[in-house]
Amino acid sequence: MTTHYDVLIIGAGPAGLSAAIEMKSLAPHLNIGIIDEYLLAGGRLLGQLYEESKGQWWNGFRKSEELRQQIQQLNIDLFLEVSVYDLIIKDESVTFFTERGRMTSKYALIATGASEVPTPIEGWTLPGVMSVGAAQVMTNVHRVKPGKQGVIIGVNMLSSAIAMELALAEVNVKAMALPLYSIENEQHAIPKVIFKQVMAAAHMAPSLLAKLGSKILFTDHLKDFAIQFYPKKGIKMWGIPIYMRSAIKRIEGEGKVERVIMVDITTDGKEIPSTERAIPADFVCLSGGLTPLAELVSLAGVPFYAIEALGGHVPLHNEQMETPIPQIFVAGNVTGIEGAKVAMAQGRVAAQSILLRFNQSSKKQLQQRIAQVHEERRHAAIQFHPLLEQGREELYEKWKLEQSQ
Amino acid sequence: MNNQSSIICRCEEVSSKKLHQVANEQRCSARELKLRTRAGMGYCGGRTCRIAINKIATHYQATQTTNLPLKYQAPIRPVSFEQVGTGGELK
Repeated sequence: MTTHYDVLIIGAGPAGLSAAIEMKSLAPHLNIGIIDEYLLAGGRLLGQLYEESKGQWWNGFRKSEELRQQIQQLNIDLFLEVSVYDLIIKDESVTFFTERGRMTSKYALIATGASEVPTPIEGWTLPGVMSVGAAQVMTNVHRVKPGKQGVIIGVNMLSSAIAMELALAEVNVKAMALPLYSIENEQHAIPKVIFKQVMAAAHMAPSLLAKLGSKILFTDHLKDFAIQFYPKKGIKMWGIPIYMRSAIKRIEGEGKVERVIMVDITTDGKEIPSTERAIPADFVCLSGGLTPLAELVSLAGVPFYAIEALGGHVPLHNEQMETPIPQIFVAGNVTGIEGAKVAMAQGRVAAQSILLRFNQSSKKQLQQRIAQVHEERRHAAIQFHPLLEQGREELYEKWKLEQSQ
Repeated sequence: MNNQSSIICRCEEVSSKKLHQVANEQRCSARELKLRTRAGMGYCGGRTCRIAINKIATHYQATQTTNLPLKYQAPIRPVSFEQVGTGGELK
């Protein structure tokens, strides 16, 4: 059985949902479907809860409820717990192969978001080890504590945002530290490098790591931004000591997590001998940040470029959210790691671009939506990389280059 | 990984030690490392170990430039033969 749509959206996160709402509100006759493999619509919105600025809270779960209501009111088909495992583009339409059979559409918006980057470390296959995002989903979506006492391995924007959320939920996090250096996790393990990232974040107040950054700035010894003065016992944020001169060497336990082994490290991330000590823990969160989840876009034949500021390999696209494949559009974190508000704005841009194909929009409306993306980006509470804007520009240059050939 | 007996690819049970050893001997691409060890070729399609396999292969290569990461191939999610048979054939 094949189901036909005008537009299919893969991913019911902030980008996908906003795009569907924009299209259906402006062109009610369009037949729109959304597919997501999770059991609830909302994507990463579901777990988000943080203070954007003084007294102003961002409640992602509530936002996702709002969007879900609009989807329902607009009679947009929403398929949950359905995975897409392949796609083909033929005869000017896109066919998705799903667990519920084939679904085709004239245009497709791929808004599959991001996945977490794991940081392999000895003992990481023990039960009780999870990604930091899994701990967030357990705590904020399912309302289950991931354990009695835990340790977060990996200091970055994502892990500090979630550490704060876990603290709010009174989950006991005993330490947040870097993984001990290895080839597999080198970019997450060198104190000098991570310290620089934290200090860069300090200038993007009032976000999360920024708070750690500004705390460092106001600590006398650290005013010269020198990692060697970072206190050995860590700096406490939300009651959680954050270590940068100590790292987790391995996770231990009989059949499950029972403790982690911490060692002191040099500013280059080298282990200082005879400094091993155990921290009891029954769960461990690993975090190497986020990277675009681009499997489907890749199957569609869209070329990729590695741009570190955008979180890794990103599909080639322009500011209109078009890709070189005429039927395929992209929006949200699959195009680069940013906050939910930017993703929503990008979803509306993609929607306008698709509406233009159906003669249901104007260039002017599209330009307005693009301007809103810039606006959201400027006011973002969390910027995941200090060179994000340059990263975006770099990709648009690649687009121009490809178009001119 | 520091203790190289640790597993990198869980589906095919490939250790860090094995990956480092083969990558060091062969100085090969991530794809070749995958084919030689089966790391990333199991049930999940390399969703957890892909980045680590790329890292290890790149580390031992003489030239670190035009290195393409492992590509994605359908099916990108585990799917039963029954589904493939009734829901729509793989291309």
